[in-house]
Amino acid sequence: MPSSVRRRRLLVGAVLLAAAAITAQSALGRKKDKPNALPPLDDQMRAVHALNRLTFGPRPGDVDRVRQMGVDKWIDLQLHPEKINDSALEARLAAFPTLRMDTAQIIENFPPEQLIRQVADGKAALPRDPMQRVVYEAQLQRLEDKREKKEEARGNGAETRDAAVTKTSCAEGACPVAINSDSVQMGDASQRVNDVETRRREARRRDNLKTQELADLAPDERMKEILALSPEDQVVLAGARGGKADALLEGLNPRQKETVEALNNPEQVVVNELTQAKLLRAIYGERQLDEVMTDFWMNHFNVFINKGADRYLLTSYERDAIRPHVLGKFEDLLVATAKSPAMMFYLDNWLSVGPDSENALGIARHPPGHRGNHPQSRRPNGKRKQAVGLNENYGRELMELHTLSVNGGYTQKDVTEVAKVFTGWTIDPPQKGSAFRFDPQMHEPGTKTVLGHRIKENGEKEGLEVLHLLARNPNAAHFIAQKLAIRFVSDDPPPALVDRMAKTYLKKNGDIREVLRTMFKSPEFWAPEDYRAKVKTPLEFVVSAVRASGANADDVRALVGTLNNMGMMPYAMLPPTGYSMKAETWVNSSALLGRMNFALGLAAGKIRGVKVDAAGLAAGATSTSSSVGATAGALPDSSAKMMDAQQALAALENSLLAGDVSRQTHDTISKQLEDPKISQRRLDDPKRPPNVAAIAGLILGSPEFQRR
Amino acid sequence: MSITRRIFLRNGALAVVGTTALPGFLARAAFGAADPGIRDKRLVVIFQRGAADGLNIVVPHGEASYYAMRPTINIPKKSVLDLDGFFGLHPSMSSFEPLWKQKHLAIVHAAGSPDPTRSHFDAQDFMESGTPGVKVTDDGWLNRALRERPADQLSSDKSGPDKSAFRAIALGTSLPRILSGKEPAIAINNLNDFSVGGKNPNAAATTFEAMYDHSVDAVLHGTGEETFDAVKMLKAADPAHYKPAANANYPKGRFGDSLKQLAQMIKANLGVQVAFADIGGWDHHVNEGGTQGQIANVLGEFSQSIAAFWTDLGDLGEDTVVVTMSEFGRTARENGNRGTDHGHANVMFVLGGPVKGGRVYGRWPGLDQSQLYEGRDLAVTTDFRLVLSEVVSRYLGNKDLKEVFPGFEGQADQFVRLLG
Repeated sequence: MPSSVRRRRLLVGAVLLAAAAITAQSALGRKKDKPNALPPLDDQMRAVHALNRLTFGPRPGDVDRVRQMGVDKWIDLQLHPEKINDSALEARLAAFPTLRMDTAQIIENFPPEQLIRQVADGKAALPRDPMQRVVYEAQLQRLEDKREKKEEARGNGAETRDAAVTKTSCAEGACPVAINSDSVQMGDASQRVNDVETRRREARRRDNLKTQELADLAPDERMKEILALSPEDQVVLAGARGGKADALLEGLNPRQKETVEALNNPEQVVVNELTQAKLLRAIYGERQLDEVMTDFWMNHFNVFINKGADRYLLTSYERDAIRPHVLGKFEDLLVATAKSPAMMFYLDNWLSVGPDSENALGIARHPPGHRGNHPQSRRPNGKRKQAVGLNENYGRELMELHTLSVNGGYTQKDVTEVAKVFTGWTIDPPQKGSAFRFDPQMHEPGTKTVLGHRIKENGEKEGLEVLHLLARNPNAAHFIAQKLAIRFVSDDPPPALVDRMAKTYLKKNGDIREVLRTMFKSPEFWAPEDYRAKVKTPLEFVVSAVRASGANADDVRALVGTLNNMGMMPYAMLPPTGYSMKAETWVNSSALLGRMNFALGLAAGKIRGVKVDAAGLAAGATSTSSSVGATAGALPDSSAKMMDAQQALAALENSLLAGDVSRQTHDTISKQLEDPKISQRRLDDPKRPPNVAAIAGLILGSPEFQRR
Repeated sequence: MSITRRIFLRNGALAVVGTTALPGFLARAAFGAADPGIRDKRLVVIFQRGAADGLNIVVPHGEASYYAMRPTINIPKKSVLDLDGFFGLHPSMSSFEPLWKQKHLAIVHAAGSPDPTRSHFDAQDFMESGTPGVKVTDDGWLNRALRERPADQLSSDKSGPDKSAFRAIALGTSLPRILSGKEPAIAINNLNDFSVGGKNPNAAATTFEAMYDHSVDAVLHGTGEETFDAVKMLKAADPAHYKPAANANYPKGRFGDSLKQLAQMIKANLGVQVAFADIGGWDHHVNEGGTQGQIANVLGEFSQSIAAFWTDLGDLGEDTVVVTMSEFGRTARENGNRGTDHGHANVMFVLGGPVKGGRVYGRWPGLDQSQLYEGRDLAVTTDFRLVLSEVVSRYLGNKDLKEVFPGFEGQADQFVRLLG
């Protein structure tokens, strides 16, 4: 081993050991004032640390690039994302048209069931655009099937059921369910069930054949055929899964793809595009700090995507309420989230009616014909809702989770008063785009008192006054500073740092960029004991592994699935607290097994849609990195043929973890390479090149890679 | 504070890393047959997600207003499986009848959370955190129930501080809120997937194990050790070879599979102390059905799975308590769509060896208009935490109820006393 690497490993070993020891100490509540003096981070480690904390993890070559630019200059650039070209990411995101649609367009193109019901009942028209129309027609068909199914379930003759089964060409999962539930009393019931089964099998075979024929057509031709199908056949087509579904989408343009996917479940298309885009942005975005902060604020102002209308409201929420302000003024962010239909719906404020409002007292009535759309009488899902009064849900979370924190000095009385202030902040019905509007007739009249301040009756402006009050509150400054420090510094950040950040917050009117700057310039941020000490969340782990391995992720659906299995599905945190950023939540047995298996799968190219060139990685790292030295330049191309297993290990440690592999981990893998007794199958069979994918997988699954 | 006592223990245990001595529970697992002298008490919690309609599950057929309020979805008197002349089980729950008659099955009616929320997600969250109305609780009550108890209080295993990796199990892909927290708990979706690099011994698994075993990273070392203990235990115990008992008929579906796997883990003596499984499909706003239909189907799956689990456990049922819960009940009246909307109180089932079954516990608040909560729902007369407190303190032996259910004022003298 070149001596530079050996020296480095000793240093890193000391730092990692100290960090682990300190973590254990602080756990026991006897944190020393001064840890055993560790050497300050050198240039290389500063670059690695900055990348680990400000991005979703370094990619091959990133450390060198940051060192070249200078760490401080690079941080400053990340604080000004508008100066960073992100066109490569934009090109990838072009595949997801919903990202650029406003909510009204999303609803129009991906109609929720309520809208379909309205069309079915003649209360809304079918769109004229054939691409839109086909989606509606398939959903109408589906609705009709559903209504029929209900009829069948109500009637109790096996005859009607059988007849219906033959009439409906039934897609997978969409077949009438009542077929064999209670037909035992019929003498020839089992015979009938057999007949039905046979017919279903035949129908399925026919359907598969049809799907295959379509898949074999050229993309434009295929799209034309799909548009020309009967709604029944479109529903069948929409039932295609897995490989068959992929074949149908192959070669279609994004709009066409969306349309075909929407035949199955329009709302899910919107959710899928947003989720996939989040992963692509984290993996490929150059504006990494901007992305990290977007994730941070989306989590702080959490909205659960599977709560009804939020399925189609979250796209705009992230794009229009969160992103413009992630490095801006906290108050702007707070106002944007308060007025966002997504938050309004998630925390029920749109239903909140002042007990003494005109609406509650029945004084003023909306003009005839308008009332039916009124939120407290109808919900976006079309169900009637009983009259409701004040809803405190938002008022409470606004103070508890968004600004002051749970012990932030407010009372139940304040919650009720804030709820009154926000009565009338509501949203339009979905078919009108679900936009924010203030409804004076829902608004509670009179003066309110919030945290000791008198809020005079002033309609919509009362809410803005309260948001201003909260955003300027020192408890909010402290809470936000604390949370940022937990994300960027440590699970248990130094109070002195948090205080300084809170001071900046108050002095600079909640300027988030300035608060971050205070943090990045602080000695605490660069403390050697925090080097690689934060345990990655599942999102951070998966994305950092993909980034470190330089993988090409053409299709991130499998990665979304991995996150779901690891318990961190994007946008799917149900309670308003958001996901935890602390180690204790994410370190458990099943999670660890999940991480190890993902690491092995990723490196071995077994994650669908994600390609890793492990051999290239090993070779590339040795040829570009300065710290590995002698063995490096010897490799003429990306073939690892010439490399022995030990060289490959050293090279991969360098490229995947910037060489920060502990002695223990290195020796374990190294021994594994040499000792055939440990495993039945040697990784470095001399007749074959070393199994670089296996080595890479072991490094990505190592304890060191679980931290950043 | 992010690191727990167990980490300290793990650090202490560092010194013995590398010895070949198996901890007691692992030895038991490895050597198969359960020692009849060793009795582990275990609690299984089942969550009916989506707000089950308790009034059509344990039917108050003695209430005239029940029939008046539910003209199309009631369970007729002639169809209910009568329990005590006033309450009766939904007819699709006939598999519960023998458990009731053997007095293993108790019912607590009009139980629930005092929080008024009718939001599924808030109410589930509150029932899992065990702190109604408080959202910042970051762990679950079932996890807290395991905390700070000397190992021997729960089990006669005196082999030391090591705890089975299977002590707290959630059946599913991720750890639910109820089990999240400082005590180690694992989520298992499929016993066959719980390994590294596939089921067979492989180089990657061996290397990872050595890597985490030697790691100086206290947290990851500890969890790694737990993980590989668990993987090894599974391999040694091979729970998959415990086939369901002949008369244990698990219905098809995820819930039945969950309980079947749980029974395998229990029978394989893996040291399960608390376990969690859930079953969805209860949110019947439209066409709920009565003796037939949606609720009948899901109730069949629910009750048959639990009954099969009980049968499957055999003698091990003596040391098992199963508690069921759902976030809230449904409106006393049916709505305009032959369904029910979100309500308040619900019914809980408690099944097990030490349970004084064959009785419906709790004060019945009645269904007259004046007796309904907010004029529409069955009122809560037994806080769900009171039922759980009794099980946690009197059965699991954790007396620190202030920690398990912080903010709950319920006292031991208020327990419904459904345990023998």
